[in-house]
Amino acid sequence: MENVRTPVIDFQAKARELLSDSASYDSCLACGLCASGCPASGFYGMDPRRFIRMAMLGMNEELSNTPWIWTCTQCKRCAYVCPMNIDVSVLVGYARSIWPKEKKPQGIVRSCEAQMRFASTSAMGVMPEDFVEIVEETADELRQDDERFKDIKAPMDKKGAYFFVNQNSREPAVEPEELAPLWKIFDYVGVDWTYASKGWAAENFCMFAGDDMAWKEMVKQRVDAINELGCKVWINTECGHSFYTMWKGIERFGLRVDFEAASLISYYAQWIREGKLPVNADWNTKGIKFTIQDPCQLVRKSIGDPVADDLRYVAKKLVGAENFIDMQPCRSANYCCGGGGGFLQAGMAKQRRAYGKRKFDQIATTEADYVLTPCHNCHTQITDIGEHFGGKYRVVHFWSLICLSLGILGKNERKYLGPDLAEIGLQESHG
Amino acid sequence: MKQQARQYKTQMVVVGSGLAGFAASIFARDRGITAAQIGNTGTIAYTTGYLDLLGSASGMVLDDPWKGLEVLRRDEPCHPLSRITDDNIRTSFHRFTKALSEMGVGYTEPGEHNLMALLPSGLIKPTLSVPETMRAGIEAYKADAKALIINFLGMQGFSATEFVTNLEPVWRNMIATTLSFPDMESGAQVYPEVMARALEVPAIREQLAVRIKAKLTDAECVGLPAILGIHKPDLVHRDMQKLIGVPVFEIPTLPPAVAGIRLREMFEQVLPANGLTLVPQQKAERLDLDDGGVTVYLEDSFGAVVIKAQAAILATGRFLSGGLTADHGIVRETLMDLSVSQPASRDDWHRQNYLDPRGHPVNRSGLEVDEHFRPLNDDGRPVDARLFAAGTVLAHQDWVRQRCGAGVAIASAYQAVDAACETLSTQA
Repeated sequence: MENVRTPVIDFQAKARELLSDSASYDSCLACGLCASGCPASGFYGMDPRRFIRMAMLGMNEELSNTPWIWTCTQCKRCAYVCPMNIDVSVLVGYARSIWPKEKKPQGIVRSCEAQMRFASTSAMGVMPEDFVEIVEETADELRQDDERFKDIKAPMDKKGAYFFVNQNSREPAVEPEELAPLWKIFDYVGVDWTYASKGWAAENFCMFAGDDMAWKEMVKQRVDAINELGCKVWINTECGHSFYTMWKGIERFGLRVDFEAASLISYYAQWIREGKLPVNADWNTKGIKFTIQDPCQLVRKSIGDPVADDLRYVAKKLVGAENFIDMQPCRSANYCCGGGGGFLQAGMAKQRRAYGKRKFDQIATTEADYVLTPCHNCHTQITDIGEHFGGKYRVVHFWSLICLSLGILGKNERKYLGPDLAEIGLQESHG
Repeated sequence: MKQQARQYKTQMVVVGSGLAGFAASIFARDRGITAAQIGNTGTIAYTTGYLDLLGSASGMVLDDPWKGLEVLRRDEPCHPLSRITDDNIRTSFHRFTKALSEMGVGYTEPGEHNLMALLPSGLIKPTLSVPETMRAGIEAYKADAKALIINFLGMQGFSATEFVTNLEPVWRNMIATTLSFPDMESGAQVYPEVMARALEVPAIREQLAVRIKAKLTDAECVGLPAILGIHKPDLVHRDMQKLIGVPVFEIPTLPPAVAGIRLREMFEQVLPANGLTLVPQQKAERLDLDDGGVTVYLEDSFGAVVIKAQAAILATGRFLSGGLTADHGIVRETLMDLSVSQPASRDDWHRQNYLDPRGHPVNRSGLEVDEHFRPLNDDGRPVDARLFAAGTVLAHQDWVRQRCGAGVAIASAYQAVDAACETLSTQA
């Protein structure tokens, strides 16, 4: 494996080809705002500024071989703070694509390969028939266990449903009980939605693996599944990169679609504003404090501050404005937690945790008891760095708190909640 | 793919997110005008944090900027500051610095005299208002106080030894020392921004204070590169002073420095919470003026954004920020191809001597405006009654040489917003 050579590419020429028209590549002042604001600066003696300068100097051999590209999470914070709009992440994406498969971090490669194996596109290898069965069994249990949900449905392959809903594989694969809170929310609002047996999975590690063909194939399978059912809106649930990989993939590969891509967060906010989700913070009598991790893939790389505003609107309604503390920086300027870009799957735990130290400090400063985040990679990474650096916080999905606030969160749906929230709202539950 | 269109409608649109752009948005907010603002980082990230009104006029370094303005009005009547009354300049500075302090970065009250502020290389410059975290350094310099000046292992952009050596002739009582920053002791490059964020954590402040106290001996004050927090610098500053037991002051560092990052992050967070529609880190691609009003078009990674308003303020800056561009023969305005006042020919752009005290004519190129700060056509008439300009995109100033960058930005933004409000009220 060590003998496999990485092809050497002309990064300067690639940069001119890939960078957007608004980027002023020749005007890079080497000011270092990119490197200063990048948590991956320093690994393998690299940082975003060095990457650009080395490209300018024609150091293609070094750039083609540096493992730093797997510690960069492609979060685009460097581009966000660059006065010249230079985006190092697109060059990193290209560098990833030229590495021989054998040399790439195998965790990312295997996740992509798993996605390619079945029509479900699941990186955890959950097959279509497994998904259908797990959803049906979980729904059955819910109907039996709680009188209030005796008629609840988790529709599968329902043609013409308004919303097509994707699902991160983690729930069906390892914690199916975590599926139910979202269904309860849909049931509460009266949403016309469906899962699909094909193309339902959210995660897409093929993009992180630098495998364009596979990325395209994944997006195409999902697009076909949505088109086949004729849904109007594809809702991306609480998973960050799935949103970016989908809309960006559709644009990048020129796929034709008739649906709108939307984030579940925007709909949470809309339903609360419309009174369809009458959440409140009355349950938070102890003044438990919450903060938000803005997923880079959803906020900075996709919708921008409007969805960050929605996140805060929903959070404040759920926990009380006085119990919400923003971490700094936040919204579009937020730091990646270090769980993105396939870093969690790349087997580079030492660097990943060093990267995450900045996130840990941000959270520590807020003194929050809980971190709310609508992203599974953020969820896993922030939990891990909390344990590693001795934090006392917990990480929680929005769907758990929404159901908690509505008094419909079951006893077995509280694995991410601490003892302080374990009993809240249960007296109203029939479960 | 169908995407949700992002369209915004406000009374005013501000193009540019440097000091002038944010000042315009603040002044609009004060007047109850709804505003949208777009523009990428701009040079605000490069500031020392000092707000200069006027540091030099007709070759003199100014102790009294207000007297300097009299000289400027006599010698340079077309200078943007010459066209704004002292009252309006004072009001604009007071309101702007008050707004900064209220939003979370404390600034000193602008007074009658310039402050002699410290620069990273150990030089002194005249300025009107400084961040509270830097105030004690000015006082220590004036008093020739015994100071411990610290730099950090692995940090570029500030050398305590250079600072002390260059200032030695005028500030004798200084000692330079190097410390390692908690958790950043390897000797690898460390950035002021990272240290500043780390100091937002109380436990790290305590660790650093212990290291500083061990070096303190009989020093009466401590000078640090600007690293005392990003989001709550005044709190971090107060806490460090308490922990160390003597006055502490920040010295600006070379970019990437925290003083500008502080302002940028504060603006980006506080102003939208107060009603500003901010589209950060994007450049306007087109600005149309027609019967329907002003329409600004731009595109970000997620698609098109359209902003409709009834008045526009161009605060797009100069060459670095992209408000102006130059090829080998001519200087152009980039967004609307407005008329640019400039030397008659390329040969006249620069003087022979790079350090000529008169500066270079090309640095005074920019937009001509009328008394309402509306850009003018070649024929001397306003381009449009709804279009205004502010900041360093304006002609007849050399802000670097004259130390008047913030002065031009803040005072002209005030004047332009004032005029735009009149237009809006006429329309209403």
